[in-house]
Amino acid sequence: MKQKPRVLIGKVGLDGHDVGARVIARALADAGIEVIYTGLRQTPAQIVKAAIEEGVDMIGISILSGSHMTLLPEIIRLLNQYKANDIQCIAGGIIPAEDIRVLKQMGVNEIFPPETPTSEIIDFVRNLIEGP
Amino acid sequence: MIEEFTKGRVMETGEDVKMIENLKREWEEECLKPALAHKPESRDNFLTDIGLPINPVYTPLDLSEIEFDYKKDLGFPGQHPFTRGISPLTYRNERWIVRAYSGFGEPESCNERYKRLVQWGVDEIVMAVDLPTQVGYDSDHIMAKGEVGKVGVAIDSLRDMEILFKDIPLNKLKRVSMLGNSFGPIALSLFIALGEKQGLKPSDFVVDLQNDVLKEYVARGTYIFPIRPALRVAADVVGYCAHNIPHWYPLTFCANHINAAGAGSSKATAFALANGICYINYLLDKGYQIDEIAPLFTMFLDERADFFVAICNFRAARRIWAKILKERLKAQNPESMALKITAYSHGGETLLEPVNNIVRITLAALAYVLGGVQFLFNASYDEVLGTPTEDAAKIAIRIQQILAHELGFTSTADPLGGSYFIETLTTQIERQIYEEFSKVEAIGGAISAIEKGYYARHITDGAFRRQKEFEQGGRVAIGVNKYRTESKIPLGAFRIDPRIEAKQVERLKGVKKERNQNAVRDTLEYVREVAKGDGNLVPPVLEAVRAYATVGEICDVLREVFGEYQAREYFVSKG
Repeated sequence: MKQKPRVLIGKVGLDGHDVGARVIARALADAGIEVIYTGLRQTPAQIVKAAIEEGVDMIGISILSGSHMTLLPEIIRLLNQYKANDIQCIAGGIIPAEDIRVLKQMGVNEIFPPETPTSEIIDFVRNLIEGP
Repeated sequence: MIEEFTKGRVMETGEDVKMIENLKREWEEECLKPALAHKPESRDNFLTDIGLPINPVYTPLDLSEIEFDYKKDLGFPGQHPFTRGISPLTYRNERWIVRAYSGFGEPESCNERYKRLVQWGVDEIVMAVDLPTQVGYDSDHIMAKGEVGKVGVAIDSLRDMEILFKDIPLNKLKRVSMLGNSFGPIALSLFIALGEKQGLKPSDFVVDLQNDVLKEYVARGTYIFPIRPALRVAADVVGYCAHNIPHWYPLTFCANHINAAGAGSSKATAFALANGICYINYLLDKGYQIDEIAPLFTMFLDERADFFVAICNFRAARRIWAKILKERLKAQNPESMALKITAYSHGGETLLEPVNNIVRITLAALAYVLGGVQFLFNASYDEVLGTPTEDAAKIAIRIQQILAHELGFTSTADPLGGSYFIETLTTQIERQIYEEFSKVEAIGGAISAIEKGYYARHITDGAFRRQKEFEQGGRVAIGVNKYRTESKIPLGAFRIDPRIEAKQVERLKGVKKERNQNAVRDTLEYVREVAKGDGNLVPPVLEAVRAYATVGEICDVLREVFGEYQAREYFVSKG
């Protein structure tokens, strides 16, 4: 029997606004997905390490501080470095449209802007982890 | 009898109440019921974000129900319980302070924006500082990577302040502020020392600080030290000002972030009040008198889901504060009982069709003006995209100036006072706030509420409820979940030049090389010595700041003495 999907929700960098992260964590948990929430002020290395240790299928990063172009590529780089490319990566927060394209090219699976319904995120996570 | 009533009687006699009850029953039978039968209400309920239902109409019966008493509940503006405002003339002799919350990049480029703000006529600049500064790291710290100059301007030392306020004397503004919550003594000292460089004494200008660290542990998250030493760091600033610079505003206890995070405005107001009382109790224990500290506090209130709730929240908060200060804390000075209110017009802004946010922000600002705000700042309509562009920042200021000078909003005090609806809602909200405040007191006050996760639970539950309401359509965002026509995120967000991080690190190196190293070492040792004892932290921190010790260096010394806050947030929830 396939294990339940597991997702790590993380706050990276110094950004302290975690409403979105908490809401998403609870919505995913309510949808039957196992969720690990890291709390605030994680470095990319801490996030990737926790993701590997916890054996998650996906990392979800919430970031509103504008430092996404430094911190998200670093997470992707570390996932590659540790040969953990099977761990998917999504993000949400205040990320300009111009950057979304670049980040997706770098390997971030999807970026959800504010106002995205949680149901859309849940569907995306399920599809990506379990297949359509 | 109706004639008598319309002649201005406020409290109804039993006979009047009976008469109006009869009229209302008639109205319900003959008007309301047929109307509902013809066309039912458009929503299942008219419930506000704070859980209070709004009725189709309010009458003197509602005032009778809440036992409305003009003298006890309202009085006159500038008089206890200050429901109608804290000054007799309200905006007729002095409008509110028009603030601009601004800061990005490094000090040189930010100085250009500040000069423009002054040109546009702002009364106060509130410095937005970047996250490394807010949590006490210099721009070359490992945790600062990618964050320098992003959500605010980078401030490493007094040198950055000198550049940031070049050609802007601090006394040219009515007030000046920095938004930091965990390093109050440093923020205060940076302004005192900058004033000195500009040839000004603290008596020549006015500083206000947010400096409300308690809420950082439950919303916003820029804590540095464990809760108890952090409380001292914040409260010392109030103590120092009380004795040395009593016309400054060293601490603003905040409902805003607690509400934004999900609590709802009544709970957020209650929690912020409990936090405010916690600072006050700390200072009273230290031997300060209530009337020398209370007038230095201001409160940052917030309600973003309902125009009328916003107005009534302000009126209710003033009434509660006045009662608590007078009855419980035995204040004698009316200034101690008069709650000064800060507010930030924002909340419902949307990413789609962001120009519509101008309307939302205007109406939020109007509610705060009608509620009797003292210090107001507006979000920029494009803030949901990133740091405000210059055009958007200008509109945010113009909105306030239009409200202040056009259309008559400022001609009379508390213009909605006496409305059946407003008075009923004000009292209902006051009761809600007081009940929530009492619960926090019952579990041991603010620090217990933080440590036991009490605040956090209410905040998270509320955030989740709001998200559900939004997704189910009960919470309408025009252009997003109703009348939606756009799907693409708009382009054109303001960009921070990525090269500024290197530039700022270079400047920091330069400052560290040029300064008097002995003075830095000695003053940092002085900071350490005072931190280990129980003296006020401001005098040693001021010495260190004057010697160009950096924000990071001073915070490192304090971290060594106090330790660092370790959040216990990591959790696994089984799906």
